[in-house]
Amino acid sequence: MNKTLLSLIVFVATLGVFHNVLFPIFTPKEAGWIMNRYSYYLIMVFAVIFLHLAMKLKPAMAFRATMVWALGFYFYKWILYPPIPWTLFITYMMLWSIGTFLYISQDPITFREFRAPIVKTIVGEYKAAQLIVFTLLPFLVGFGTYKALYPIFQEPVELRTVHPAPPATTKVHGKTYTLEGQTNPFRIDEQDNYKDSFPFLDADKQEYMKYVTEGGTVFFQNCHYCHGDQLNGLGMFSHVFNPTPANFVDPGTIAMLRESFLFWRVAKGGPGLPNESTPWSSAMPPWEEHLNTDEMWKVILFEYWYTGWHPRTFDTESASGGGE
Amino acid sequence: MLSANKHFKTLRWMLLAMAVGFLTPAVSFAAPADAVKKDVLEQGKKIYFKRCVWCHGVEGGGDGPAADRLFTRPRNFIQGTFKIRVTDSGELPLEEDLIKTVTNGLPGSAMPPWGNVLKKDEIVAVVNFVKTLVQDRSFDDSDEEVFTQDFGTNPWGTKGPYHLGIPQEAVDAGKEIFIKNKCFECHGGEGRGDGNPTMKDDWGFPIVAADWQQCWNFRGSRRNHYDPFNVVRTISTGLNGTPMPNFKDQITVEDRWKLAAFVNSLCPRKNIDPLANKPVNDFLISSEFTEGPVAKTIDDPMWTTPDADPKITGWRDSEEYAEEWGSIQRPRRNYIAMAGQITRGKRNFDPKVDNLWVTSRWSEEENAVYYLVEYHDRFLSEDPEWRDMVAIEWPAQLQDLFGAEKPYFIFGDSKKPVHIWRASFLAKNYRASAAPKPEGYELDMKVEELNGNGFDAVTVRDNTVVEVVDSKFIQGRVKVLFRRTLTTENADNLEVQIPKKQFIPVAFMQWSGRDHEKDEHMAISTWYYTILKPSIPTSIYYNAVIMGCAFAGFQGWLVWMTRRTRKMYDEGKVKRDELPV
Repeated sequence: MNKTLLSLIVFVATLGVFHNVLFPIFTPKEAGWIMNRYSYYLIMVFAVIFLHLAMKLKPAMAFRATMVWALGFYFYKWILYPPIPWTLFITYMMLWSIGTFLYISQDPITFREFRAPIVKTIVGEYKAAQLIVFTLLPFLVGFGTYKALYPIFQEPVELRTVHPAPPATTKVHGKTYTLEGQTNPFRIDEQDNYKDSFPFLDADKQEYMKYVTEGGTVFFQNCHYCHGDQLNGLGMFSHVFNPTPANFVDPGTIAMLRESFLFWRVAKGGPGLPNESTPWSSAMPPWEEHLNTDEMWKVILFEYWYTGWHPRTFDTESASGGGE
Repeated sequence: MLSANKHFKTLRWMLLAMAVGFLTPAVSFAAPADAVKKDVLEQGKKIYFKRCVWCHGVEGGGDGPAADRLFTRPRNFIQGTFKIRVTDSGELPLEEDLIKTVTNGLPGSAMPPWGNVLKKDEIVAVVNFVKTLVQDRSFDDSDEEVFTQDFGTNPWGTKGPYHLGIPQEAVDAGKEIFIKNKCFECHGGEGRGDGNPTMKDDWGFPIVAADWQQCWNFRGSRRNHYDPFNVVRTISTGLNGTPMPNFKDQITVEDRWKLAAFVNSLCPRKNIDPLANKPVNDFLISSEFTEGPVAKTIDDPMWTTPDADPKITGWRDSEEYAEEWGSIQRPRRNYIAMAGQITRGKRNFDPKVDNLWVTSRWSEEENAVYYLVEYHDRFLSEDPEWRDMVAIEWPAQLQDLFGAEKPYFIFGDSKKPVHIWRASFLAKNYRASAAPKPEGYELDMKVEELNGNGFDAVTVRDNTVVEVVDSKFIQGRVKVLFRRTLTTENADNLEVQIPKKQFIPVAFMQWSGRDHEKDEHMAISTWYYTILKPSIPTSIYYNAVIMGCAFAGFQGWLVWMTRRTRKMYDEGKVKRDELPV
């Protein structure tokens, strides 16, 4: 039997068995030293080599090159984790293809060996192969052209600034606030000594928890529809809007902002945003129309209490030292 | 190798469990209620007062600060009435039922899935604390027996997420059972929950029957929306505290599965966002190019596409349609999520409609575009003072917008006006309490056009160019077919002029008359995009053939070149590289 054909059967069967049977076993939820995808891949490659040695197979150079290339493809497509974006995949495959070509052209003999079946197909010594390849390829090219030209319409991508630069001052309920240096009047405990206190339970015991309770009450009457009962931006209305509401549990939102920034955003809402933040599609209402100043500060206090974050604060030393 | 061993061990246990399952006949059994675990109460109390108290209240009476603005209201724990259980009607739930409810949340209500936030032991703790909030009965009472039913198993072995492949005979048999047991009296003729407008829960608050065509809102769906088991459980156990009774004596277990198959077959298969537990929005509404005029009746095959995603169900055009139109020119039915308007004025915290379905076509010949807007509304208004309304909103001066710029999404803003097409209607001879009417109701339709320059600057236009060419209210579903010419006279420059092949922002608004919604008290969507897709140019077919032929020519050249080289070697004109062959 043709050694190349035998090798093809061995190769395909090995990959099939490994991918369908062993791959799920080697990718458990808790990956260990041996039970991981990379050792699975190494074992698979060794299995292919071992089978070829044991069966004394020496397939044609062109097929060997194809095998090497295919193993690289398999690695980048299924083994490498986490999965990579397709642009990176193409780049890696280009490098891998160059590597495969180096393997082919390591010396003139292997290169000629690699070339031989291709030349034989072109000149017609392999009649069947020539017929198949030369009729199929033009059709493939035609189909590819059709696919590439067929118009596909996708929703346009719009970029926006999530946390725009706040203005220097903001006027709320007739009073002008300078955002720089503005702190929450209800934050009476800077040391966060309230972790074991709870709204309603301890509201009467500590002033701080009273404010948190009042803030939470306002939050659950107004804000949770979008920002969610868990403050994770997954409220009942959240999926309706684009951009989706802010997730306060995420370290990229209130954890890295000052309370005065939140005060400005809460008071002015979506319509108060600058153009780069697409104010026209932000569903955040200007809450100054519905809440008084104290309620807004208390909501902010509640958001920090609930998520356990501490607001970004001013460095008192440099602030008193007159700026930078 | 340790974990490999573990893997095989689990497998062995699973096989053993399966064998036992086959040998023992499934029986239902009675047992005392799950007693309260006293040692975790302190931990549970802390979690409750951080996470739950806001809706369920300090004493668990379902009266927290948020309660009055929610529909459905949060559960009142005091009477020990829990909806989603595996125990019999009226009985206390198993602890496992409550754990599952807290873990998966109750879709369609404000109850989120806490499994993402709390650890298993924290959920157990808070569930045990909630059990102590039940005052009228006690989980520790030895008289409180709970009877766990046998629900059987899925007879068709279908799998999630979509549970496709249930045989049509089972669905048809399920429909017979649905009619025989008069489920339509509450759930309506086509299962949209439009049977009975006067229902109340145990505490006297209004309540509506589930809409089976929006199964992602099934409270007991346990984040597995299309699983017929959810329906079997509800039919078998009823929903405590609501008018939904159990049917365990009227309907056999086998028949309950068939009925569940029918109920589930009504729910359109869509890609469900696992975070929001709702279908993923179709943010681009492609208006399909239509040769010749577009059909002006909703029943025309041109407009009858299913709600389900054809990619999931493998749905195909009927042969007659394919023959006439070919298979590529089917518009998608787009899912548009809606929320209450809570920004300004009279705010709407519990909109009755939370999604629209929009399909669009346009015709070059007519120079017109059509939008078919459909939505589920269980009951329409009967009061001429409070007409039901649905509207499409456009930037009025599209040509002046730069880049991503748009008017404010609700009624525009002072600099950028919006243009709104609004259909306002009453169903003719309609009574909400009447029996289901399969042929539906004609609508008394009035079309208005508005301009908005902000909430306080909305004006009704004098001349109306937009038409509603067909409309209907069938079994809890409103269908309105809008038509407008692409261009108008546009004397005041406040009418949208619709360009071809360009992304155009579009938004939607809806007012439920029965809920006394008017003006800014409404349901809204955010900005979507629509595009009038061009016809497929025939040039792409030519180009494909030309490229194919060019490649064939290249192949010929390659063969000729290679042969020539060969010949030159053979004739000794060129010396072959001197390597051993």
